Amino acid sequence: MNREALQHPLYVIVHPFNGYWDLKYERSQKTSLMLSFGILFMLILTNVLGSQYSGFLVNHSDPKYLNSLMEAVYVLVPVLFWCVANWSLTTLMDGEGKFVEIFITTCFSLLPMVLINFPWIWISNYISAQESSFYYFFKNFAVIWSGLLLFVGIMTVHQFSPSKTVGTILLTVLAMAFMAFLTLLFFSLVQQMIVFISTIYQEIVLRG
Amino acid sequence: MVARIKKLRTGLLALCCLVSLGLGGELASAESAAPSYNYSYWGYNVAAPSAYQASTLITGAGSGAGEFKNPQDLQVTADKQIYVLDSGNNRFVILDQNYKSIKTVDAFQFKGKAEKFNNPQGIYVTQQKEIYVADTGNKRIVHFDSGLSVVGIIESPKSELLPASFDFQPVRVAVDKADRIYVMSAGVFDGFMEFGADGAFKSFTGANRVRVDAVDYFWKSISTQAQREQMVMYTPTEFTNLDINDEGFLYATNGDEFGDPIKKLNAQGADILRREGYYKPSGDLLYSTRSGGAPRLVDIDVSDSEIYSVLDATRGRVFTYNGDGYLMHIIGGIGNRLGEFNTPVAIEHSGDDILVLDQALGEITVFQTTEYGRMLNSAVRSYYSGDEEMAYQQFSQVVNLNANMEYAYAGIGKAYLRKGEYKEATEYFKRSMDRPNYSKAFLLYRKEVLRGQFSTIMTVLITLAALWLGLRVYRKMKARKKVELH
Repeated sequence: MNREALQHPLYVIVHPFNGYWDLKYERSQKTSLMLSFGILFMLILTNVLGSQYSGFLVNHSDPKYLNSLMEAVYVLVPVLFWCVANWSLTTLMDGEGKFVEIFITTCFSLLPMVLINFPWIWISNYISAQESSFYYFFKNFAVIWSGLLLFVGIMTVHQFSPSKTVGTILLTVLAMAFMAFLTLLFFSLVQQMIVFISTIYQEIVLRG
Repeated sequence: MVARIKKLRTGLLALCCLVSLGLGGELASAESAAPSYNYSYWGYNVAAPSAYQASTLITGAGSGAGEFKNPQDLQVTADKQIYVLDSGNNRFVILDQNYKSIKTVDAFQFKGKAEKFNNPQGIYVTQQKEIYVADTGNKRIVHFDSGLSVVGIIESPKSELLPASFDFQPVRVAVDKADRIYVMSAGVFDGFMEFGADGAFKSFTGANRVRVDAVDYFWKSISTQAQREQMVMYTPTEFTNLDINDEGFLYATNGDEFGDPIKKLNAQGADILRREGYYKPSGDLLYSTRSGGAPRLVDIDVSDSEIYSVLDATRGRVFTYNGDGYLMHIIGGIGNRLGEFNTPVAIEHSGDDILVLDQALGEITVFQTTEYGRMLNSAVRSYYSGDEEMAYQQFSQVVNLNANMEYAYAGIGKAYLRKGEYKEATEYFKRSMDRPNYSKAFLLYRKEVLRGQFSTIMTVLITLAALWLGLRVYRKMKARKKVELH
């Protein structure tokens, strides 16, 4: 991976239209995929470090219940759900994006949340309560920036019109909720089955 | 909610295990009843040393006045005389500070007629030892002077504020320094009834607010007049008890499960209770519906330095808060051991002691401070009166006895802040999770550090700037040389 490839994510976040076009048609998919995983990893790291090392004034998480693995899950599961839901919908709605492309687009759009939040973990240790509004401003700014990138990215990767993109995004969110429901249902059923089988096993073992 | 309850249950289980372990080794400490606890900043129950220990049980027979029957209220004067309202026997009993009966009043003369009480529910004794009894069954308030002769009776008032069908059922009474009488009357939703010193009804004060949820509001707005009349009426919650402090502020408890069950009312009837603590003062935070649900606060007692205690009848616990609303300690419980109750109805303080009246058993339990409780009380008092140096020492003692007492760290932090030791102050405020004060101390600390290091910081900055400029000039010169070479 050369220096130019590493710089491309930074180009994408400031020139989303050109950047995502290049990403879809010009760039090597393998490199982009590696970069995507890199960004996801950095986001998880930022969140973990954030909940441990953010300044006292802005850190409202209970250190007793901090779990790095759960922090990873909080990033990976929504991203995965989003990609699956979006891909399932857009294949039916004449979207041109493949699953890998959707994944890469989504991951690239998360970069502002790393670039802005990571330095603020350390800066937040040196601010007062009044100055914490800057902290919250930048956090919100990162989210809005990422949201806009995601919007442009989805539009480019599927070659949709803006209005169709908005509709797709809303439907995707709905589909995610549906998937979450199905997953919970599935796990609950599997759990019941396991309990049933293990009870029968115990019964046989104890009586036999 | 469920998760919280689960946590509470495991927490309590752990506590029980710890206590039973402790009991195995040392039986002498078994006299304090339930394991003591407090609530942390994060809302979990954490172990705490007992602040109070039950020392004495006062019974009617033991005091020499004969068994109490269904007593409803008690009052303690500044010279530690105890006035017990023995409702079932239609009398009140005055006990001296050794808990011996010195006087029993069950009948009185008024305007030449012999009168009796009929199921009285509330009693109040002023600093001049004038006694007011809410004689509920007779729908009146009887006013005794300090010589125990009746000087006035307040009957059901007539006023345009009151409907013609108004039923006067006084159950609790309190009197301020200007002899204004505040009466809690059963079935009244408009707040406390305020009477002037002459016994004339003035107005209502401090009504609770009605809470209607959106769904009910929607159905009500689309239903017809006839349907509406069939529906449940929304009335504000009734107060359950009141007390008055030296400054004349009313402290009141009510049965409001979701609002503010404790209120401090000023002369206009506005709630001015400070709720600066980790949680709003409202008794237990964690509870399961199986053990009786939300706390039901039935009495409040305000002592000096704005410290007040409330009594939760559901679990028989007494919660004491300081003026800012921080929970200081929790004592009592339902049970059969000393220091536990069956149906507690009233609390009072007598100096540093806390007295709890049990209605069904007809007993008064006297709690006395432990070393920890004494230290905590005096630390809060020192801080309230502005003696920060003293408060600092006492709070340090408190955290030595109870490292879980997060509130005490803020007291230490404030002393450091006053002394100008900002770094230590920030550390203590962090421990007490006191963000506003942490920020205050941190700003001062930051300023101090930046001032102290000003020359170093500027030197580094200027050197860096000079290096950067030098590098640029060097590069430009190198580039020019290349051009010249070509």
